Amino acid sequence: MNNITDSSKARKRRRDEEIEDEDALSLGKFEDNLTFSDTLVALRVMRSQFPRIDKVSIQPFILQSQIYSSVNDRTQVDRELESLRREKVLRIFKLNTGQDDHAIMFLDDYLTQIERVEKRMEEKKQGDLQVFKWFKTHVIDSKLEPSIGHQELCELLALGGKVKDEHISLLINAGVLTRQLIDPDMYWFAIPNIGSVLKGLSQGRKELLSFLNRRRYKEMMLAPLEKKRLRLSPLDMRFHLRDLIGSGHLKTIHTPTGLVVRVSKD
Amino acid sequence: MGLRPLSGGPKKGAMSSNGPGLWVERNLSAGTYPERSVERVERKGTACASSDIIIREEDAWRMWKEIGGREAGQIRPNSFSNRVKSNRVSSLQLSNYKDIVSPHRGSINSLQVDLTEERYLLSGASDASVAVYDVQRATDYEGGGLIAKHKSIFVVDKQHEQGHKYAISSAIWYPIDTGLFVTGSYDHYVKVWDTNSTQVVMNFKMPGKVYRTAMSSLATSHMLIATGTEDVQVRLCDIASGAFAHTLSGHRDGIMTVEWSTSSEWVLVTGGCDGAIRYWDIRRAGCFRVLDQSQSQLGRRPPLLERSAMNKVSMSKSLSTGQNLSAKSRPQQRKSANGNGIKQSPIGRIPAKGSVRQRLHPGMLSSQDRATAHYGAVTGLKVTDDGMYLLSAGSDSRIRLWDVESGCNTLVNFETVRLQTSKAIQLAMSQDPALVFVPCMTAVKAFDVWSGKTCLTFRGHYEYVNCCWFSSQDQELYTGGCDRKILVWSPSRLISDELDGGPMNDQDNWSD
Repeated sequence: MNNITDSSKARKRRRDEEIEDEDALSLGKFEDNLTFSDTLVALRVMRSQFPRIDKVSIQPFILQSQIYSSVNDRTQVDRELESLRREKVLRIFKLNTGQDDHAIMFLDDYLTQIERVEKRMEEKKQGDLQVFKWFKTHVIDSKLEPSIGHQELCELLALGGKVKDEHISLLINAGVLTRQLIDPDMYWFAIPNIGSVLKGLSQGRKELLSFLNRRRYKEMMLAPLEKKRLRLSPLDMRFHLRDLIGSGHLKTIHTPTGLVVRVSKD
Repeated sequence: MGLRPLSGGPKKGAMSSNGPGLWVERNLSAGTYPERSVERVERKGTACASSDIIIREEDAWRMWKEIGGREAGQIRPNSFSNRVKSNRVSSLQLSNYKDIVSPHRGSINSLQVDLTEERYLLSGASDASVAVYDVQRATDYEGGGLIAKHKSIFVVDKQHEQGHKYAISSAIWYPIDTGLFVTGSYDHYVKVWDTNSTQVVMNFKMPGKVYRTAMSSLATSHMLIATGTEDVQVRLCDIASGAFAHTLSGHRDGIMTVEWSTSSEWVLVTGGCDGAIRYWDIRRAGCFRVLDQSQSQLGRRPPLLERSAMNKVSMSKSLSTGQNLSAKSRPQQRKSANGNGIKQSPIGRIPAKGSVRQRLHPGMLSSQDRATAHYGAVTGLKVTDDGMYLLSAGSDSRIRLWDVESGCNTLVNFETVRLQTSKAIQLAMSQDPALVFVPCMTAVKAFDVWSGKTCLTFRGHYEYVNCCWFSSQDQELYTGGCDRKILVWSPSRLISDELDGGPMNDQDNWSD
């Protein structure tokens, strides 16, 4: 996919304020890395291309729309995600950024993230921390869906020890669970510490779409577009491009000079 | 002897692009018939009266070959007719020879062609008007006899003394014959009309706005109209007695779509604003299945071993909820006396607060099942003709295909970006080829049912499309939208060019 000579030339030509990627795969052009044959391959590559954010320590996650933009057959993607979920390789979370957004995270990354949060809460001495252990061993292992009911949660936690109200509030404070707005008895599983990233996600989406909408023909060549930097989002342009192409707001058109990204009107 | 054209392949507009100076060899000799494909130019019917259609002679040759094969018995009749139908469906476009003149002054909410003859189209609109059109015989012709105009046979609107007062959300034919039709409206009434005299025969008052009415086309022992309203209960109205038969409760919010099953006259499917899809057998209380989007299967049918394992799990679950004793049953949704939901007693037992002991009928336990099929409201439902699969569209802009027997989501991904969220949409299905027509905002898209890929897109309406109906007999699609128009999409028709000389005559392209 990438030549070493190509990458060194590209590095020379890049301007200073561009993102420096350490990973060899990401040095190639975005156009070459646009489609993959397999969902797991796509997930792994995208996990390695996850941008490093300075202020927030967060493990890589992938949006479901990004996978849709990378693999041709969406039904195959759905089915492979389902079988990977059942094999406990990854977990799917429903995000609250409005639309039908789902984030995919590898199980190991998720457990690392929980441990980080646990450590932080331990430093602040916020309470009884054994609930995190119960959560990891009993709840995550057996409940694979993105949501859980209150009763079931208490049942599963009770397998570890005596459950009290404070334990559940601790989990909610840590950001591991969130209440559902429509139903007070149901919780969504959530990725802790993800709030600022999600805000950056929705703002970045809006910024990119408004940037393209302001142009005369509502389109731009992919090569210069991916080199731009978004002001309001800590995530890089490639992340947002994959997300918007996969959710259908943008479409890519092949032209003799390369790929063009255009706002789709529907 | 003339110069042969440079490339032997098909060239669109071959006639017009050859300027003076080139002899173009016409394919007049029959011997070289299948080798070259000369295309005739298509001229749209606007400028002149004739409208030739591009055909490739390869396609015509293939068609004749297939007919020969059918004659000789090499191709089975079903596969032959399916091939012809698929060809016609793949060439669907805005009809240039048929037009329906709609008298409505409001957006069109419901379209249905009668099931017995597939001849009369019934449409209901937001200005409380209902109209019937004959789609097989035109009322008059325009454009030199080429464009058939279908005006309405009759219109019933607010001026009618028994007519509806507010928007009509659903208009359906009586499934047995076209002597009756049923309309449901936002003025809380469901009216049954006699078609010939356009008089109201029966009136049912509902507790809320009526969103959808449905009658079973298989019913031989009942004449029930199932109505979904703003109210949480589904009501069954009986035409024979003029009263309500019974109500079905279980939904937690209004009911947007109602459909009868195509395999059993007693089974009803409803989709609610709470996002749940429930299956009811009207002979007993409560629904017998709630579709859950998290239960999925990979493929059209679950593999055999998994199915038997799943049966065991579901059976044990239903047994335990029935007996209320096992600790592994589905979580109960009742709040306990403490108010914070953490129970000390084993899960599954309903807390007995003294004399107020709520004992639930075993059929009503499903009302506690809060599984959702969509993350928003369910706005459209369609059962396949063989009754084995169900398609549902939701306001979360997703379309899901459900396997009815196992109750699982088959995870087919239909590429929809946005769907209308505030109104119910009417889906249409074609069996062979297996396509589902979905109104997506201002276009109608046809998806392949098993793979979810977009096959065709129909753009023609100026505003949102609400309803569509596919007539499988003629392979025509009728769509109605908020722009008050009913558009007809039909396969491109080969019209003979007798009216105009046409390029077949031996004329040359020299200008004078």
